[in-house]
Amino acid sequence: MIPHSLRPKNYRQSLTYLAAGILIAGVTLYLALPIVALFLRIPPDLFFSTLHNPNVISALWLSLFTTAITMVVVILVGTPFAYFHSRYTYPGKVVVDTLIDLPLVLPPAVAGVALLVLWGRAGLIGKYFNMLGISIAFTTLAVIMAQIFVASPFYLRQAKSLFEQLDPAYEQTARTLGASSMRILALVTLPMTAGGLVSGAVMTFGRALGEFGATIMFAGNLPGVTQTMPLAVYVGMEGDLSVGLTISILLVIISFAIMIIVRLIQKREAGHA
Amino acid sequence: MNGKLTPSRLALFSLVLGLLMIAALFAGCTQSSTTTATPAETAVPTAAATMVATPVATVATAAPTTVATTATPAPTFTPSRTNIVAFTAASLTGASPTIASSFNAAYPPDTVSFDLDGTQALKTQIENGAYADVLISASNSYTNTLNKEGYLVPSSVKTLTTNYVTVILPSSNPANIQSLSDLAKPGVKIAMAANTVPVGTATTAVLNNLANDTYGPAWENATVGNVVTYETSEPAVATKVSLGEVDAGFVYQSTANAAPSGTYQSITIPKKDNYLQTYTIAILNQSQNKAVSQWFEQYMLSSAGQNILAQYGFTAP
Repeated sequence: MIPHSLRPKNYRQSLTYLAAGILIAGVTLYLALPIVALFLRIPPDLFFSTLHNPNVISALWLSLFTTAITMVVVILVGTPFAYFHSRYTYPGKVVVDTLIDLPLVLPPAVAGVALLVLWGRAGLIGKYFNMLGISIAFTTLAVIMAQIFVASPFYLRQAKSLFEQLDPAYEQTARTLGASSMRILALVTLPMTAGGLVSGAVMTFGRALGEFGATIMFAGNLPGVTQTMPLAVYVGMEGDLSVGLTISILLVIISFAIMIIVRLIQKREAGHA
Repeated sequence: MNGKLTPSRLALFSLVLGLLMIAALFAGCTQSSTTTATPAETAVPTAAATMVATPVATVATAAPTTVATTATPAPTFTPSRTNIVAFTAASLTGASPTIASSFNAAYPPDTVSFDLDGTQALKTQIENGAYADVLISASNSYTNTLNKEGYLVPSSVKTLTTNYVTVILPSSNPANIQSLSDLAKPGVKIAMAANTVPVGTATTAVLNNLANDTYGPAWENATVGNVVTYETSEPAVATKVSLGEVDAGFVYQSTANAAPSGTYQSITIPKKDNYLQTYTIAILNQSQNKAVSQWFEQYMLSSAGQNILAQYGFTAP
């Protein structure tokens, strides 16, 4: 008789468990250890004293301010855009679909150069703005424009596919009951896609918060005006390491907070359904 | 059975994958060298190690395919091509391809490859374990720090060249800047390097000197107020100027001198107020190719190396 635990079936099963355990532990450690290392590298008192560094404070507020504006613009413009885009067919729709995805694969540094040669003072459109005395490159506006360019696809894609997947029967029913288009959008379509839209918006927020390449190319690096948190990390790493580490930790905390909020929202959504 | 993905196969596969990942995690910590070929590959390591032959002798035995010039049996070792990594201040970006090709011509088959970045970034990378054979630094103070921290071979630290700070303008001069005092005009857009970048430190010193000697603190405040971006390397400042996106930029004299005519206009800063940046060259303690690194350093300090630097606008020390 083979002992129970060594029977082929049990043997295979325990091997599977072992493999699964190693895989899960390996992946978790690989993703978590860098974060742990960040927290271990800087003593807490140095972290809290560096928090008062004016560059850290201005980078934090600038990042929160610009990403908030980016979010508002992307949601206000992106939601109706995605709605019309998914509801109607028009010539060149495939091209538009591809263009929406382009910033996702385009290296951010390329996006920054492209924005600079379009909106910059000597750029394709920027030179006309320059004649009117309006400068765009190297301003806070440029930071926001770079973030919108790089981060909006996350929201647009999500909203587009949500509207495409929504069963048209709901909207038709509402229409037969006499609801206007606006009323349908506000009371049927948006509430039914809200959970997905929020997670799309959060992805956009996260990407905008982390934006580096396009910003440093197009908006430059001026503390308080265009130096967002990722840029301050970069400059900090080359000078005062504690500034780099402190901002990195702040970004980790913000990222975690965002993810927890999303989880809570999704949980509540699931509870209602 | 064959080719079918049974649970046990899947499990075995996952197991191997998991172990590989953990192995990779640890391997990543210890692997630092970027060189692949070492002299020890061949039969007689002592011969390779003690080989201090002149470059010409190296050539004669370089490739196995070369027909031996004498009737004696082929040498028992084949000198492998050594590539050294030179962490180099970004302001040498323009000169680096010429240096690489002429070094290779002078010391075949050895080559040098450059990792070009602001010296402050190179310093951080070295302190965090990046592998380099040679450091060409645009900052005395960063070199001294690294030397104190034990990263450099102290006897190898030598002065390489020098460079002054200058102001460059786009060739069209959109802000109509005619003198240094115009830099303080309202609305002028200026790019300079961040304070951690050697040229940024030098720029700050120059502005101070100019303010104290000639233009006064109000001029300095207005000029600094006109700065729209603090770039992280010297060439990045030059790029913003050549794109015409800023009206003026503080760079090294070498950049202004070496650029094709018509790229920039420039305004010279008087010598008495200028800041002479001293470049140093040093060999790193961790270098596994100290002999070739030494040849490279000698080459850079020789008249051949100095001529290249002069050609790219650097000032001999």
